[in-house]
Amino acid sequence: MTNSSGEKFVVPIGPQHPALKEPGQFQFTVDGEIVTGASIRLGFVHRGIEKACESRNYTQDLYLLERVCGICSHVHATAFALGVEKLAGVEAPPRAEAIRVLGGELERIHSHLLWLGVAAHEGGFDTLFMYTWRDREVVMDLLESISGSRVHYSLNVIGGVKYDITDKMADEIRRGMDFLEERTHYYMKVVTTDDTFVGRTRGVGIMTKEHAERLGAVGPTARASGVERDIRFNAPYSAYKEFPINMIMDTTGDLEARFIVRIKELFECYRLIREILDNLPESDLTVKVKRRIPAGEVISRVEAPRGELLYYIQSDGSDMPARVKARTPSLCNWATISDVAIGHKLADMPMLLVGIDPCFSCNDRLVQVNRPNQTDLNWSWDDLRRYGIEYYR
Amino acid sequence: MNLSLHPLILLLLFPGGLFLLNIGMIYEWADRKLVARYQNRQGPRWFQPLADTIKLLAKEEIVPKGVHKGLFFALPIIALTGALTAGLYVPLFGFEPAFSFQGDLVVTLYLLSMMTLCMGLAGANTVSRFSLVGATRALTQMFSYEAPFLLALLGPAIAAGTWNIGEINNFAGQNLWMIIAQPIGFVVAVVGLMGKLELPPFDAPEAETEIVAGALTEYSGRGFALFRIGKDVELVIGLTLVVVFYLGGISNPIWFIVKSAGLLLVVAALQSMFARLKIDQTVGLWWRLGALMALLQLVAIILGRYLGALIR
Repeated sequence: MTNSSGEKFVVPIGPQHPALKEPGQFQFTVDGEIVTGASIRLGFVHRGIEKACESRNYTQDLYLLERVCGICSHVHATAFALGVEKLAGVEAPPRAEAIRVLGGELERIHSHLLWLGVAAHEGGFDTLFMYTWRDREVVMDLLESISGSRVHYSLNVIGGVKYDITDKMADEIRRGMDFLEERTHYYMKVVTTDDTFVGRTRGVGIMTKEHAERLGAVGPTARASGVERDIRFNAPYSAYKEFPINMIMDTTGDLEARFIVRIKELFECYRLIREILDNLPESDLTVKVKRRIPAGEVISRVEAPRGELLYYIQSDGSDMPARVKARTPSLCNWATISDVAIGHKLADMPMLLVGIDPCFSCNDRLVQVNRPNQTDLNWSWDDLRRYGIEYYR
Repeated sequence: MNLSLHPLILLLLFPGGLFLLNIGMIYEWADRKLVARYQNRQGPRWFQPLADTIKLLAKEEIVPKGVHKGLFFALPIIALTGALTAGLYVPLFGFEPAFSFQGDLVVTLYLLSMMTLCMGLAGANTVSRFSLVGATRALTQMFSYEAPFLLALLGPAIAAGTWNIGEINNFAGQNLWMIIAQPIGFVVAVVGLMGKLELPPFDAPEAETEIVAGALTEYSGRGFALFRIGKDVELVIGLTLVVVFYLGGISNPIWFIVKSAGLLLVVAALQSMFARLKIDQTVGLWWRLGALMALLQLVAIILGRYLGALIR
């Protein structure tokens, strides 16, 4: 579809659009309903957390980093705590490690259920959306009963965890897992057998293994294409050494495979949580860690619900880190959208977008300013300040 | 029993005009509430559609740049007029239609299509890209459901031997419910009605996660309110038509409420059972399946009548 002057017909999705829960901009060039080009622009919610970390001490950073993401908060804190513990040369007690993994898996359940709902909503299947989010309340309540909070649990401290799992809590969690497992079987059935839903997912957005590897995809997105990439499996950290997981793989690489991989991961979560609860080691919850962390640098990798989360922490021997760098999984997966989108229908775009389970605010590292007739690329602080004031006039 | 009232009352107050607007809103509420309950939500309170309408009517209407102003204001009014006029030929609430003549079935159907046409034009009138895509989809969808829907309503008309909705109503009241004799036609008619009203899963023309609000993206305030009311009225008339044709007709208000509410229950269930169809899937479904089935049904009815006449 081109207008009279021969320009391309571009459908902009974002920064504000009902399909997006966070701001990002995607411009799809369409020919009728067929997408012929896609571009992504990020950077609407850059918050400068990495920089802020450098002026706070390690304990404060733990709370700050938990706020990088509102869905996978625990995993950020875990990655940071594991890294700092490695720098300090201490290891959290086994019970603490087990509780960390337990929290991580509960969080994965809540994240995957949330994603299932959002993905169903993008496909116009609001009933599934409402059902999954209702059932997600079960795991949210469990997390609340452990930590007192639904989103930012603050389970971690440097050198251990804050909250213990009592027998009563364990029973509650077991009951919750039983309920969720039954519901998840039902969702698996819906996702793989409902004709209208399968019509929107099967064979859509196929990404081959080579393709996924070339684009550097991570997490369930990569695993759905047959790439063996799961930090919990490849480089077990924390209590995953004692409680190994099975890597869930699929080879089709289409949207349906991503649904199946994530739902199968839910079953794996339920199994692992039961196993941890049955074999919870007895020990203290924390070890003592000095305020000042010895100089050095460390890379800490964990498997977030969306894929590999990487933290680089540099210490100069003070009680504040010299540099904290987080690379979140969504950043690795963006390229798969713009690459796979071409040739698909406009109606497939929202589902392709959520297919990678995108999280916008956690991967914004810069603010991009598009000015027409912009010639000078160097902006002084005064320029920026003036721009900021004039922008809102 | 077929009651009759003074034509002016019929036209302005009851069962046309004001009454039709109100019952439209009540049906919209019932539909929303039912879908919400099917989806395990609470749903809106009973006055929500009325409150929405009042709010929208009171709001400023923003005219976007690049539209033809006359069309922009006229289209919602034409759409609502079309829907309300269609109400004159339908035995709403069990009363005799205000007007009727041989062939009013065809007129009613085309008056009901005014809505989609107006929405298509409204979308094409603006320069918004979402509206343009929405308009294209709305018109594409119209071309796909219209024929099967018409064929599905022709079945009972041929069985009754008349193209007058009032007479078909009388015929349906005296004979076996036509859903039993023509089950395929009933299914096609109900699904066709959902396509006409752009209800899920046929809501590709206004798929919010793709094209915001489709053709009506640029409408706000009064224009949007009129389109909404028009759609509510169309819902009532559509339900009434299907009830008249397939569920044994309407002889009094109680039957009207019972039967149309029952049908609404089914429609709401269908709305919450499926994922949204892509526009190419919608067209494929209608032309490959809907039209073919409705045609088969029609051929069967014609053959049946022919053979029946032969035997007699």
